[in-house]
Amino acid sequence: MPARVSLKSLKRRGGLFEGIKSNIQALAVGVKYFIDPQRSTLLYPKEYIEHRPGYRGFIVFIKDKCISCAACARICPSAAMKMVRVTEVDPKHPDKPRQKQYPVINYQRCIFCGYCVDICPTEALYHTPFQDVVYESLADMFLTLEAFQLEPGRPSVSEGSPVVYEVDEERGLIKRRR
Amino acid sequence: MVLETILYLIAYPPLWQVLILGFVGALLVAMVAIWFERKAAARVQRRIGPYWASPRLGGFMIIVADMIRYVTQQVIIPTTVDKIAFLLTPVAVLVVTILPLAFIPLSPHELYWPVASMEYSLLIALALTTLPPLLTVVLGWASSNKFSVIGSLRESYVITAYELVAVLAILAPAASTLSFNIVYIVEAQQPVKWLAILNPLAFLAAFLAVLMSTSAFPFEIPESEHEVVAGPYTEYSGILYALNMGGGYIRRFIYAIIIALVFLGGWAPYTPGLDPFTGFIIPSLIVLVKASIVVLVMSFLRAVYGRYRLDQALDAAWRLALPLALLGLGWSIILAYMNLI
Repeated sequence: MPARVSLKSLKRRGGLFEGIKSNIQALAVGVKYFIDPQRSTLLYPKEYIEHRPGYRGFIVFIKDKCISCAACARICPSAAMKMVRVTEVDPKHPDKPRQKQYPVINYQRCIFCGYCVDICPTEALYHTPFQDVVYESLADMFLTLEAFQLEPGRPSVSEGSPVVYEVDEERGLIKRRR
Repeated sequence: MVLETILYLIAYPPLWQVLILGFVGALLVAMVAIWFERKAAARVQRRIGPYWASPRLGGFMIIVADMIRYVTQQVIIPTTVDKIAFLLTPVAVLVVTILPLAFIPLSPHELYWPVASMEYSLLIALALTTLPPLLTVVLGWASSNKFSVIGSLRESYVITAYELVAVLAILAPAASTLSFNIVYIVEAQQPVKWLAILNPLAFLAAFLAVLMSTSAFPFEIPESEHEVVAGPYTEYSGILYALNMGGGYIRRFIYAIIIALVFLGGWAPYTPGLDPFTGFIIPSLIVLVKASIVVLVMSFLRAVYGRYRLDQALDAAWRLALPLALLGLGWSIILAYMNLI
């Protein structure tokens, strides 16, 4: 047996005059924005956002300060940070190689929450004030231990101009050139 | 001498009007309309729209790239379709869509008409513009897919409602000038007694009906992407889909030419001369520009209006647009009675 369909009809609001008025208002708003567009799109490689100093961007690792406590890997809410085991020369016993764990990061998973930086007891991790997650392949987003220790490049800075986003009282979120 | 001969060759009506203006012009206008639609909607919605394909042209090349993609895509023919109807109908739609142009005069001189007599040109052109939707129903049925059938059903609902309004509203000028001859209607509007100004009700009704019946963007009820995948065109891919999609724009353009002739005065402020350049090419280009403006205004509405459901659209047709068209018709009879035109 087919389902019984009941149509719900709403009462019409306003009359003919109201309809004409609201249509004209809508068209006027459209024409106003068409003549004076208030765009806020970031044209990425040609423009970049200048963030404030405390911005949580890319994370850089300082190997010398690391005590291999793995607190960063454990706190990571999206499991982006993992510890890798490396064999290296022990400074105290140069003839005996030792095994140590260091963190590496996967930017496919990282949500830039900054918990790892906050929890690090020796401040071996720090934020850069930018976050251009633009890579040529997905494999590049897994940083090796060597790449994790370098500050990542920022291609948009060399090509583009800085912009800032501001909240305007009348126009809402607007983009302004520096 | 040579130039004059070339001019006469170009101004041969079937060549200039049907091939150059019809196919090439309609294609160009459709491309510009698609680009303008995306760009205008982006401007109103605080975006940029197509940009990186060619920053200097405002991203116009993205349309060319899309066309190349459609042309080189694989055409998939499902095993369940009715093959002959499935393959032939898109082509037939395009041909039938261009056909009204053969019965539309773009010049006051008999020498530059594609057919010998223009006595009933408005009736014939209007009758021919109502043909393509029937073929859309055919191709939806030939696809044998539930979305296609639902889309065809919607198309048939929409065209029954809005073709009636369109035909009634576009015939209103005939009532006020007492002639079905488009040339006579245009000459009656010289120089600025345009029927869009004298009879705005019929013009508005015709505009609305064309917008709805050719399924312009916010009102694409038959092929609405959110409800039925692509409506009648669900099973189509590659160039056949491009033909279907372009067909709607070209149909809107043909309607816009008729509207430009009967409501916006055709070549009205300009009085054509006798030789092919001033007598045929300039008037036809004036009509083309007016028609393009109508098409672009229709495209702009995408940025302003929201989508209509099928029942809302039909409700608006029978309760709003049809009385509007009848009022326009009555108004044009009053115009004729009072000898205002």
